[in-house]
Amino acid sequence: MRNTKKVAKWEIKRNMKNKTFLIGLFISPILFLAFYLIPDLFNNSDEDAVSTTVFVNDQLGVYENLEATVQQAGAEWELQPTDISEEEAAGALESEANSAYVFIDERAFDGGVLPVYQSEEISPLFMNEVQLLGAPLQAMQIEELGLTPEEASVITQGVVFEEASANASAETEAGMDDAFLERIVPGIFAAAVLLSIVFTGMAIFQSASQEKKDKIAEIILSSLTPGELMQGKIIGYFVLGIIQVLVFIVLVLPVLVWKIDVPILEYLFVPELALMLVIAVLGYLLFAALFVGIGATMADISTAGNFQGMIMMLPFAALIFVGPVFNDPSGIWAQVGSYIPFTSPAILILRLSLLEEWPWIEIIIGLAILIVSVWVFMKLAGKIFKIGILMYGKNATPGEIWKWIRA
Amino acid sequence: METMLTVENLGKSFKDKRIVSNISFEVKKGEIMALLGPNGAGKSTTIRNIMGIMYPDEGTITFRDKGKKDIPRNKIGYLPEERGLYKNVKVMDILLYLAELKDYPLDRAKERALELLKKFDLEGKDKVSVEELSKGMGQKVQFIAAILHEPELLILDEPFSGLDPVSQELFKNEIRGLAQNGTAILLSSHQMNLVEEMADRLFLIHRGTKVIYGPLDDVKKQYANFKCTIHGVNERSLLESLPEVERVEQKEETAVLYLSKDVQPATWLKNLPTQLDVQELSIDRISLHEIFIDIATDKNLLKREENLDA
Repeated sequence: MRNTKKVAKWEIKRNMKNKTFLIGLFISPILFLAFYLIPDLFNNSDEDAVSTTVFVNDQLGVYENLEATVQQAGAEWELQPTDISEEEAAGALESEANSAYVFIDERAFDGGVLPVYQSEEISPLFMNEVQLLGAPLQAMQIEELGLTPEEASVITQGVVFEEASANASAETEAGMDDAFLERIVPGIFAAAVLLSIVFTGMAIFQSASQEKKDKIAEIILSSLTPGELMQGKIIGYFVLGIIQVLVFIVLVLPVLVWKIDVPILEYLFVPELALMLVIAVLGYLLFAALFVGIGATMADISTAGNFQGMIMMLPFAALIFVGPVFNDPSGIWAQVGSYIPFTSPAILILRLSLLEEWPWIEIIIGLAILIVSVWVFMKLAGKIFKIGILMYGKNATPGEIWKWIRA
Repeated sequence: METMLTVENLGKSFKDKRIVSNISFEVKKGEIMALLGPNGAGKSTTIRNIMGIMYPDEGTITFRDKGKKDIPRNKIGYLPEERGLYKNVKVMDILLYLAELKDYPLDRAKERALELLKKFDLEGKDKVSVEELSKGMGQKVQFIAAILHEPELLILDEPFSGLDPVSQELFKNEIRGLAQNGTAILLSSHQMNLVEEMADRLFLIHRGTKVIYGPLDDVKKQYANFKCTIHGVNERSLLESLPEVERVEQKEETAVLYLSKDVQPATWLKNLPTQLDVQELSIDRISLHEIFIDIATDKNLLKREENLDA
């Protein structure tokens, strides 16, 4: 164990002193922030330009009501009273961009149709938006008919179709949101941890094959056993992955807390997070075993065979299941995904985030399969590593690897 | 002298192929023991078995502390045949890492590393990245890494391969110095001349089995017989009929006569028949180099069974 720690320490130190690693450490959170913040930036600057000027020729004295409605609806309009005639409006629009003329007069009561003249360059949604001016006018219509306020409210309420589900819970809408966020926030966090340590873990593969390429393996192995070297690498890169997560948290979380109106921190540190993190760590160990074993069979990443390439793609196998699991988090695909060790870490985290009631039996079976697989793959990787790491300048074939495993 | 390493009846096969068999030797404190043999003879396999990088199929390997089964890795310095260093790290960093793996105190390692770098003309290179070193410099750093932790047993697999003569001399002196200070040294090589200069004892291995084992002086005395080279047109039968001739090698007008061990050169020369056509004649001892070539090419100049016990 002491030697394992030494190797882990060395791998951490070596990477932390490596410029490429350091740049990578900061580039992914920065890229994330950039993708998150830059569109926001453009949106803000566009807001002023898009605002539409709406001139209202009000013959009925409802202008104030209209203004209140527009403000309430949050439409990006600039309402202005005008007494221009319909004939003049057409001429005026030619010289004005992004503006419209609305004429409100007796026609509102006669046929309920009011004319709107708009300039050529105007938001295509304007005609939809302008309908909201109908509400205060309708209220006036009703008032004109002399109905009591109760009758009026019944009429204005209208009839709507609403989606309802058979097992709708008694919870209030706000309560449902809370429960959902309570699961999805730790889920996203655990997924980020899994992704981050698995990606850093891919560097294990690089590190193992580099050991061969630089021909230092035999010198190192004169001081410790192959098992210690392998474990040291796995632990070292785990710590590096955690460092990556920490950098991510320090850089990204404050921005998210600031930008999103959800108390993320409150939802993050819930008991559910612990199980999800355990799953993420198990996932890391599984892939780390794979990568370190495969890395030891390869002299150089550029000469990787199909076999090695396919194994490198295994962490992405979970993507196949993501669609079906989203559609039905307790369906057959979700169950299959939870029982295949290579997909189960990601799928389990996804399901735990989506499902309200956790299927404990499935979770336990999935975890058991995962734990056994981690153990088996660690053993296999140990066997492959022991022989492969000393086979300089040559890639091992799947046949050879099979022989080492059987030995 | 204290025995630091004992190898007894070592045997190892890969698949069905026998790589080494029945290898037995010892390495003692303060001596340079050479493991000698042509490429593919089984030198590196023997050494890798000693280092626990491979496990022998047969035989035992014992270090000084006989009680312990484990290899005392911290007391051994090892320079493998296939060797290199991490590329993108500083020289001092890697030396300290390797010393740390041997449990050698860090401050002492730093001190000694600077000392040794200076000794090997690498002063000021401690902060340089390994990839910036030339091949020769890299080999020096590897050698320093092998001896930095003051090992009691130093195992060097082909330490001179790829070195220029100046560096070779530097390595030779350092290895000799270490032996004088009591380090047991096992050194493998296929360069006979270097071994002849340095080794106290040698183990000649060919096709995975022992050919000669013993002190260098004894080997020379026993195997380095006289040979007589004659230029001239002579019948093979005539040459073979000469006294004390064990074997004749004839190529066009040059014949080499290998003489028996007890030959008296002066008497033998005096008794040469007059009909012998001699344009040129020389008589000298067979060098270790020739013995080596002889064995490697299977001419069987030596009888394999012969054994010199140390």
